[in-house]
Amino acid sequence: MSKPVVEVFKLSVFAGDSCLVSSLSLALKRGEAVTILGETGSGKSLLAQAIMGALPKELTASGDVRLFGKLNPSRHEREQMWGQQVAMLPQEPWLSLDPLMKSQRQLSLVEELVKQLDAKRARQQAQGSLSAMGLADDGNKVPSQLSGGMAQRLAYLCATAGGADVLIADEPTKGLDDSRKQQVIGLLQQHKQHGALLTITHDIDVAQALGGEIIVMRQGQIVERGSAEDVLNTPRSDYAKALIAAHSQDHFPIALKQGNAPLLKVRSLSKQRGNKQLFHDLSFQMGEGEVLGVAGDSGAGKSTLVDIVLGLTECDQGQVERAPELGPGKMLKLYQDPPAAFPREISLGQSLEDLCQLHKLDRSQLPELLARLRLDEAILARRPSAVSGGELQRFAMLRALLMKPKLLVADEPTSRLDPIVAHQTLELLIEQTRKIGCALILVSHNRRVMNQLCHQIVDLSPLEDTQRVPVDFSSACLIK
Amino acid sequence: MLIKILGRRLAQAVFVAWAVGTLTFFLMNLLPGDFAYRIAAGRYGYDYVNQAAADAVRAELGLDRSVWLQYLDWFRDLLRFNLGDSLVSGNPVSQELAHQLGHSLQLALFASLLSLLIAVPLGLYAGRQVGSALDRASLFISVLLRAQPVFVIGLVLVLIFALQFQLLPVAGFGGSRYLILPALSLALSMAALSSRMIRNATHQVLGSSYYQFARFKGLSEQQAFTHHAQPNIALPVVAFIGIQAVSLIEGIVMIESLFSWPGIGHALAHAIFGRDVPMIQGAALVMGLLFVLINLLVDLCCYWLDPRQREEGLQ
Repeated sequence: MSKPVVEVFKLSVFAGDSCLVSSLSLALKRGEAVTILGETGSGKSLLAQAIMGALPKELTASGDVRLFGKLNPSRHEREQMWGQQVAMLPQEPWLSLDPLMKSQRQLSLVEELVKQLDAKRARQQAQGSLSAMGLADDGNKVPSQLSGGMAQRLAYLCATAGGADVLIADEPTKGLDDSRKQQVIGLLQQHKQHGALLTITHDIDVAQALGGEIIVMRQGQIVERGSAEDVLNTPRSDYAKALIAAHSQDHFPIALKQGNAPLLKVRSLSKQRGNKQLFHDLSFQMGEGEVLGVAGDSGAGKSTLVDIVLGLTECDQGQVERAPELGPGKMLKLYQDPPAAFPREISLGQSLEDLCQLHKLDRSQLPELLARLRLDEAILARRPSAVSGGELQRFAMLRALLMKPKLLVADEPTSRLDPIVAHQTLELLIEQTRKIGCALILVSHNRRVMNQLCHQIVDLSPLEDTQRVPVDFSSACLIK
Repeated sequence: MLIKILGRRLAQAVFVAWAVGTLTFFLMNLLPGDFAYRIAAGRYGYDYVNQAAADAVRAELGLDRSVWLQYLDWFRDLLRFNLGDSLVSGNPVSQELAHQLGHSLQLALFASLLSLLIAVPLGLYAGRQVGSALDRASLFISVLLRAQPVFVIGLVLVLIFALQFQLLPVAGFGGSRYLILPALSLALSMAALSSRMIRNATHQVLGSSYYQFARFKGLSEQQAFTHHAQPNIALPVVAFIGIQAVSLIEGIVMIESLFSWPGIGHALAHAIFGRDVPMIQGAALVMGLLFVLINLLVDLCCYWLDPRQREEGLQ
C-alpha cells in the first residue's frame, strides 16, 4: 500500500469560541477517494480550506495536517504545493474563472506560468486539453458565455493543469442539473484513477459514484463513517438514514381534475437576451391545481420565462393570456433564497401584519396556516436571520398562501435547503397550493423531482452540452 | 458594437452642443443689468462708458432685437459651425477658443496624469492592506480634500508653496513652474476620490473567488495579480475616470480663474462678467464636447479591456 498523501489528525476549526468542525481525522491515498457528505452549512468546506491553508482570517484551526509527508507545512510551503501537488476544484465555477479572460488563455496561462512552457507550447497544450474535454470551439469564449457544465470542465482543467495529484472538490455539482452532474462525476472518477480525491458534497449520487470512504458530517461533527457501500446501504446513524431516505424518497404526483377552464395560456412566446435566443415559439397552457415544471441550466432563461408569465418582463413575440381570476395579488412568486425575500430588520410577525393591513386580509386563518405549514407561532417574534432556512422558506409560503393566489411561481424553492428539509418543504408546497386550487410553476434543476411532480415540463436547455450537435436553440415543450 | 459606441457619443455631442448653447443663452438673458453697458465697459473700460457708447454698442450688435431673434441667429450660425465673434474683442470666438483650448488641455492632461500618479499606487496599496494605518489615513485625507471646493485646495497650496516657502509662483503663465500648483490642486481633488475607488476595486478583486482560484491553480501572488487582478481592477476604474470628467471640467473653471491660467475656464469666467454671450456659449460648448470626448475615450478603453463587449459585437 502506498503512503497517504494527505493526512488530517483531529482537525477542529473555531470561530471565536464556537466550534465549526470538531476533531476530524482522515487519510487520503493515491487512487482512493474520500467523500465528506453532509448538509449545506455544516462546516464541510472549512475542511478543504484548512487543508489548503486558506482559512478565512477570523477562523482558527487546531490539530495537524500532513501533506506529502510534511507535518503542518507553513503557509508559504503550502502555497508552493498549490496547483502542482494539491488542487482545488471550486464551488461555483462561474465565479472562480476570470470574467474578463478567454477560456483558452486562462488555461494556457497555467501551462506557461506553472509548468513554465513557452507561450506557443502552452497554447497548443491548452487547446489539446480543451478539445479532450469537448471544449475545442469554446477557447475564445469568456466565462459568461459558457454553460455551467462547460465552466465546471474548464475550471477542472485549470485546477489540474499544474499537475496536482491531490484534488479537493468542494461541492462540485452544486447548481448543475442531472446531465451536467454526471459529466462532473465522470471527471472526478477519472481523476481518482491516477490521483487522490477528496470530495465535499451533499449529493448522495456523487458519493455513491465515487465510492471509497464516506464521512457523514452534521454541524461540524462526524456522525458516521465507513466504506461507501456500508454507509449508503446500511446506514447506522439516524441522520445518515434520513439523508439517504430523503434522497431516494419519491414524490407522488396529484391527479389532475379535468374540465377546468385554463387559467393561463401562453402562445408562441419568443425572447432573446443579448444575441442569445432563450426560447422560441413556446406554447403551453395550465389550469387550476396544475403543476408545471420549468427545467434548464442557470442562464437558460428559466427566470425570464416565469417573469414574462407574471408580467414582470416583456417578451419579444407571442402572447400570454391570463384568466380574469389572475388579478392583482393573485400571481405570486416564491424566491430561491428565502432571506433575500424578507426585510432584515423587521420581525416576521410585523412583516405579516403589514401585509394584512395593506391587503385587508383575514387574520383568523393565520393559526391554521401556521399549523399546516408546521411553523411555531413563536417565530413571529423573530427576525429572518434568527430562523432556519427551511422555516423561512415555509414562512415565505405562508405569506404567499395568505393572499390566496391563483398562480404561484416557485423559483428553485428548495435548492438552498438540505435534502431532508427540501423534501418536506416541497411536499408541503404541493399540498397547500392544491388545497386552494392554485396553479404552480416549479422552476428547478432537479429533473427527478420534476418528473415525479409536474404535469408538464418546459425544457429550456439547449442540447449543446450533452450532445455536440449544431445548436438550434429551439426549446421543446415536453408533455408527459 | 464599436459603431454603436461611436454613434451614441456622436448623438450625445450634438445634443450637448445644442443644450449647452441654449441653456447659457437664456440663463445669461435672465441676468439683471443692461448688456450694452457691460459690453461697452469691457471694450473701453468703466471710466469711459456713457449712454452714447452703450447705445452705439447696442446698435452695432443688434441687442435691441428680441431675444428669440438673437437666439435663432446664434443657432443658425452654429449649424454652419460658426460660433460668432466675441462681443468684447471682436475676434472670432473660434479663434480665441483655439488659443485657449491648448492651455486648458495642457492643464487637464497634466492634472489627470498627476492624479493617477497619486491615486494608483495609493489605491492599490490601501486595497491590499485594508484596515491598515495607511488605508485609514488615506480615507481621512480623502474625505478632508473632497469636503473642500477645489479652489480652497489651490489657495492652501499657494499659501504653503508660494507665499511661505516661495518655491513656486503664485499665479500666472510662463514656464513649467507655473503649471505645477494649478495641476496639483486639481490632481489632489480628483485623486481624493479615485484613490478610494481604486482601493475598493482592488479589495474586491483580491477577495474574489477567481483571484483565490488563480492562486490555487499554482500562480504566485505576483503572477495572479498581473494576469487576473489588474484587468479586473482597471475596468471599473477606467469607467470611473469618465464619470470624474465632470469634476475635472468644473475644476478647470475654478482653478484657471484662481491661478490666472489663460485657458477656457478663465475665459468663461471673464466672458460672464463682460456679458460676452458668444464667448460664453463657445466656451461652454467646448467644455461640453470635451466631456463627451473624454467619455468616448473611456468607452473605447473599456471596449478594449472587456472581451465580453467585443464578443457581443461579433455575434
